[in-house]
Amino acid sequence: MQEFLIRSLDASTIFTIAALGELIGQRSGILNVGVEGVMLFGATLGFITATTTGSYMLGFLLAIAIGGLLGLLHGFFSITLGGDQVVSGMGIWILGFGLTTYIGSPFAGPLGLPRIPSVFGLSPFFFLGIALTAIVWFVLSRTNLGLRIRSVGENPVVAEVSGISVTKTRYLCVVTAGMFMGLAGAIFSLDYNPVWAYNFVMGWGFIALALVFFSMWNPIILIGGSLLFGSLWQVSLNPQLLLPDLMSRYIWRTVPFTITLVMLLLMSTRWFRTKWGATKPEALGQAYVKEG
Amino acid sequence: MQQEQTNNGGRSRANQTRKGMLTNLQRGETLLEARGITKRFPGVTANDAIDFSIRAGEIHAVLGENGAGKTTLMKILFGQYQPDEGQIFIAGQPVDFKSPLDAIELGIGMVHQHRKLIPAHTVIENIILGHPNAGAVLNLSRAEDEVNRLCEKYDFSLDLRAKVWQLSEGEKQLVEILKALYRGAEILIMDEPSSALTPVETEKLLDSIQAMAESDLAIVPFITHKLPIVLRISDRVTVLRRGKVVSCIDTRDATEKSLAKEMVGREVLFRVERTKIERGAPILEVENLSVRSDKGFIAVDQLSFSIHEGEILGVAGISGNGQRELVEALAGLRKIEGGKITLEGQDITYANALHRWQAGVGYIPADRIAMGSIGDFNLVENTAMNYYFDEAFSKRGILDFKQIRELTTELVEEYDVATPGVDVKARTLSGGNLQKLILARVLSRKPRLVIVDLPTQGLDVGATEFVRNKLVEAKQGRASVLLISEDLDEIMSLSDWVAPIYEGRFMGKLPADSTPREVVGAMMAGIELDKQGAAT
Repeated sequence: MQEFLIRSLDASTIFTIAALGELIGQRSGILNVGVEGVMLFGATLGFITATTTGSYMLGFLLAIAIGGLLGLLHGFFSITLGGDQVVSGMGIWILGFGLTTYIGSPFAGPLGLPRIPSVFGLSPFFFLGIALTAIVWFVLSRTNLGLRIRSVGENPVVAEVSGISVTKTRYLCVVTAGMFMGLAGAIFSLDYNPVWAYNFVMGWGFIALALVFFSMWNPIILIGGSLLFGSLWQVSLNPQLLLPDLMSRYIWRTVPFTITLVMLLLMSTRWFRTKWGATKPEALGQAYVKEG
Repeated sequence: MQQEQTNNGGRSRANQTRKGMLTNLQRGETLLEARGITKRFPGVTANDAIDFSIRAGEIHAVLGENGAGKTTLMKILFGQYQPDEGQIFIAGQPVDFKSPLDAIELGIGMVHQHRKLIPAHTVIENIILGHPNAGAVLNLSRAEDEVNRLCEKYDFSLDLRAKVWQLSEGEKQLVEILKALYRGAEILIMDEPSSALTPVETEKLLDSIQAMAESDLAIVPFITHKLPIVLRISDRVTVLRRGKVVSCIDTRDATEKSLAKEMVGREVLFRVERTKIERGAPILEVENLSVRSDKGFIAVDQLSFSIHEGEILGVAGISGNGQRELVEALAGLRKIEGGKITLEGQDITYANALHRWQAGVGYIPADRIAMGSIGDFNLVENTAMNYYFDEAFSKRGILDFKQIRELTTELVEEYDVATPGVDVKARTLSGGNLQKLILARVLSRKPRLVIVDLPTQGLDVGATEFVRNKLVEAKQGRASVLLISEDLDEIMSLSDWVAPIYEGRFMGKLPADSTPREVVGAMMAGIELDKQGAAT
């Protein structure tokens, strides 16, 4: 049981960090549906780096860097070129899926490094996740930078008139977002489940994406959502632990995704929006073209 | 090359004298001067050698029709456009604005007509957004103190922690004014300051403007219509026509008539002849109509009224009192909560929008760009939108474009729509011409009930006059008209009956010719006058 709880927290941490990244991007108005792709890149390249150099540190750094780069790429398509953000995000996912399979397959198998030591019986990343959430919450709601990010995501024209560079702010956010996602991927492949296998991130990026909507763009609620999905995921791995013989594990495996689907459907209804108010960044998904 | 050099020069000069450049000027001294401003766009010279100046403590109105070059001049003064020729001087020193930020830093503030505010954020967040001294970690209480001090100075009252979407139009404008003042504006450019405001709010605004001018701020309102406001508050008026300054005079030497003549270039009749025609049978009858708003509360509350043949019922009210929901319910665009709607005896309560069009309802929406037209469609296609369902124009689902084109050409001619042809996209038309086109395609159907929502909002004097006359013509053609407007003058001059609307209820139904304006204005603000016997 204790094992189950710890694993749930570990999974939740990964959801939290990836979703935090997506949340930052979305608050600035940039939707990146390619979270899964960025995580795959981070996970695979982090894994390869760590396994070849023997250094966890290098693995994480590279994962963060590649995440940032992919964020930059997404930014280039959606900010500079003003393209469709969904198309660009899907492209990143497909690219990540294909390329990491190709690059990673020679390294299939366990990492072959000693496990990262735990802190008070928990993964150190759990504490990192909490800290990052607190920081993101503070920056978004209490700082000038946060106000600028939120403004750019709500109404870029107003922000620009107030003397804020929409382009710079959005780039800052997508790159940071990518770094978070890359890091989340590396935590997955270096700590949570240090074995490389085909498509091993298993759709976690998509759950993280859904979590952002689920959280109504609030980092604190996001933690709650992550905990829910993290535990659900663990239940789906070993359903007999909690509820023996209730359903096949394969059906359990679909539960997080089914909930995601239902959640997203619910959130898109008028009923939900009138009940909870318009919390979605107004300019989410819209390219901004300077007037003039 | 030349441009670049002056720009760089201006930039460095501006940097040296930045901030405080305008602070020590005495009342009456020239704050800003623009000399020979010329701005060309492909095909038009929007500003042609314009000279303009503002003194401290002065209210200097800029008047002009749509397309007269007002907006261009305003954008140049605020740094959004760079002039092709000419120079702006601040406190006697030449400056070049590369962006609004340069203008803001030199003490120019802008109050936009279409509010540049973020509805989801609080008032204080909107005010400090982009402020250089906001600090890395926001110190909201300090900012609030500072803004409150400004409020006290000019006698404004505003809840700084409220979210902007909760505010009325007048309060939103106040937020923009405060934002500009908080950034140290000494010159306040106001774009159509009184549009979308109620009479009561307009009074407040005029008081505020005067209070600000008292403390030596220069105020530059840009106004298309509402000449009485110009006459009441401004010290000087500059009138623009076709990109040129046609006159710059002291307001005390001007009259409403003389200004209108300068603006339009010909005599303008201010009074639309209100012809009374014999009251016919009721066309529209509404019983106990209730409608919910998008947010789910009751916006139209048990409303009952009727409009007879050849009558204009003017619904006067501050926006957000249920007008939109009422209009949409009548046009068949919004589900109703309860009640009954009858058109010439035919129950249309649950008829859809198309059936209503076919039954003789004509609807002219308030938002001509988003609801009234499709910008990327040409004029023929836009006209087809009210005709596609007519046997005469479509056979077995195939549109007869030849006929629709003929119709469009006729309408464009008859309604005096200024356009190079019927094949241009609708979004290339100016607001006035687009409204004329929409009016044409609706009125040409000879509807029995015309629903018009804010028909002249944002239109210039000439177009306004035209639209109003067409509505009166429709009435003379024995249609009944439901006119929704925030402009009390419009309501009073067009309607036979006035129904002030407040929180989804009519405060009364009064004959327009025997009811004093002030009574309607008060009732719009929710004051019941029946008890005092002031209203019938």
